[in-house]
Amino acid sequence: MLLLKLIQSLVKTLHSEGTPGQVAAGLALGSILGLTPLLSLHNAVVVGLIVLLNVSIPGAMLGWALFTPIGFLLDPLFDAIGRALLLGALALRPLWTALYNVPVVPLTSFNNTVVLGSLVVSLALCVPVFYGARLGVTRYRATVAERVRRSALYRAMTASKLYALYRLFRPE
Amino acid sequence: MRLFRWKAIVPLLLLGALVAGLWILFADRMAKGTTESVGTTLVGAKVEIDRMHLDVAHSRVEVRGLTVASPFEPLENLLQADLLVADLEPLPLLEKKLVIDRLAATGLRFGTPRQSDGRTVGQSDGVMGQVERWGQQLQVPALQLATGKISLDRLDPAQLNTPRLATALAAHADSSRTAWVSGLDALGTQAAVDSSARMVERLKGAKLTDVKLLGDARRTLEQVKRTEERLTALERSVTSGMATLHASAAGLAEARQRDYALARGLLKLPGLDAPDIGAALFGRAAVQRFQRALYWAQLARRYMPPGLLPRATPGPRRVRRAGTTVHFPRSNEPPAFLLKSADLSLSVASREYSARLTGVTSDPALYGRPAEARGTAPGFRLAALLDHVRATPRDTAAASLADVALPSLRLPALGARLEPGAGVVGFRFVMQGDQVQARWTVTSDRVRWVRDSAGGRSSIGDVVWRAISGISTLEVSARLAGDLDHPELAVGSNLDRAIADRLRAMAGTELAAAERRVRAQVDSLTDGPMSAARSKVAALGGEVTGRLGGQRAQLDQARRALEQRLPGLRLP
Repeated sequence: MLLLKLIQSLVKTLHSEGTPGQVAAGLALGSILGLTPLLSLHNAVVVGLIVLLNVSIPGAMLGWALFTPIGFLLDPLFDAIGRALLLGALALRPLWTALYNVPVVPLTSFNNTVVLGSLVVSLALCVPVFYGARLGVTRYRATVAERVRRSALYRAMTASKLYALYRLFRPE
Repeated sequence: MRLFRWKAIVPLLLLGALVAGLWILFADRMAKGTTESVGTTLVGAKVEIDRMHLDVAHSRVEVRGLTVASPFEPLENLLQADLLVADLEPLPLLEKKLVIDRLAATGLRFGTPRQSDGRTVGQSDGVMGQVERWGQQLQVPALQLATGKISLDRLDPAQLNTPRLATALAAHADSSRTAWVSGLDALGTQAAVDSSARMVERLKGAKLTDVKLLGDARRTLEQVKRTEERLTALERSVTSGMATLHASAAGLAEARQRDYALARGLLKLPGLDAPDIGAALFGRAAVQRFQRALYWAQLARRYMPPGLLPRATPGPRRVRRAGTTVHFPRSNEPPAFLLKSADLSLSVASREYSARLTGVTSDPALYGRPAEARGTAPGFRLAALLDHVRATPRDTAAASLADVALPSLRLPALGARLEPGAGVVGFRFVMQGDQVQARWTVTSDRVRWVRDSAGGRSSIGDVVWRAISGISTLEVSARLAGDLDHPELAVGSNLDRAIADRLRAMAGTELAAAERRVRAQVDSLTDGPMSAARSKVAALGGEVTGRLGGQRAQLDQARRALEQRLPGLRLP
């Protein structure tokens, strides 16, 4: 079921009216949601950006869905990176101390090894994810998109209610 | 293409409003869950709350029906409180810090019964595990008079220290021997002596004008002297090493004395000295109280550490990995947690008392003042001070309670139960760095003795029962002092002499025989390893000293022979 929804989301995203850049930007922002622990304050900002900026929301949903399992898998790595940054890097200690004592910032839980490690990695991956996704969407649309669009499966998916809801927020 | 999706602002605002609404609806429940979870982790036993209300407008939190289970007893609560009202400072909340200006707690009750086991920490875990292990190392002699049998548990050689120390000493002697023999071989004494002998032969009939030969002779003499210096250094090393080995060999005797005491503890009777009787009767109860005090002191040290270094704590429980949360305290900033003052209204033994708590904080160095607890009332005195402001923490607590019904004390050793009635109980605990001093006293002049109906009877048990059942006063004093890792426990009571005298009269001969059997068992397990280790040390001393002496003599002779041939070449 989950896999079907993912495929549905993937197909819809690839065939949306959004430009490859909008889809890729949505995917890059969604990857932050997927890679970092969801209930963190910085993710409220990311969600705000996804909704307010003219990026592909299905792209963001797809990015979130694709990167969530990767986030789980990479948690030990995030933990190690966060630990190195928070406890290992003495040069950064004044920065963490300052941030820890500034209002609101501690609410982001930046001082948690997994949150910080995953945020750093997801921000670093944003750019390659964006360019990679843009290239992929462009190539897809130029090659197999039209054949998929004519298939019965695609027509069934686009007739669903979810698709109608999606059209409300489609990129302009 | 536009950058912003303006039509999404309204849905976004609606989403924000929905989140805020949900928070208002469920904030109390979430805060209750978080408080229970954090409290349970901190205490090591279940913390339960009936109702919790966050009054955001007045920065106030109300907790009704707080129950904290005892981390020590399965069916007992540590405390229960009817109502707690906390006034918070709002601004530190934005920094995820909790500063409580004032806390009022009413209806505090201690030691109430509960239906289910509230302990969450296994005995081998964390601070509780450390404290359990600490308590087990305090040796309390066993006493079993109820059945009158003097039985001896099987002596496990692994329990004895002497064989282990003897084996270690033998291994040390072997490794020292290898090192010293290698050192002797590496000196090159024989080469220096041979070279000297050859030079003496060459010098026979030599002329003073033979400058080359004289230079060679000088170098040979220097070589001999350098070898002598190295030999002297090795001698010093051997002397010091042998002193250590001899001290260790002498220490085996002391270790065996300790093993005798350990093995005697396997007898269900202590020695016939009065202090042993006191320790056997009340030692376990005293250790239990000291363990509890130590548990709270260690928790305080864990959660209220001195200094301002970053502190790592386990991250929050979630589906994703919890990770580690690091706190970065900074001077002149609020601590992560601070309870400025708390007024407590408590009930002990059906009487009402009040107490005050100040300065409880996660970062004592930031707050700059120690945490204090104080309470006074007729017949009640409580004072505690946790000073973690400086690098070496100092924790002190003293409490006394008079004219209250003291809990009964089971004395399985005597097959009896002691009902102390109304009396005075006092407790004092001081821990500075890793030094600990504690005292527990119980005094009562209206004690009642109840003999257990279960279990066997014996003539010894009957005699001891007749001796103690006529005693109507009780004075128990237990002291603990010394290094936290190896403190000394001393327990005494007014029953000791009475029981010891009766025991000596009744069971002295049998006890002495049992003790002889125990010593024989220990001897049989320790004699072999001790003799082997001692003979190894003695042989090593003779061998190495002999070889050192021989080489010294050879070098002396070679040096003298050279110097006689070349009196003018003697070096300053």
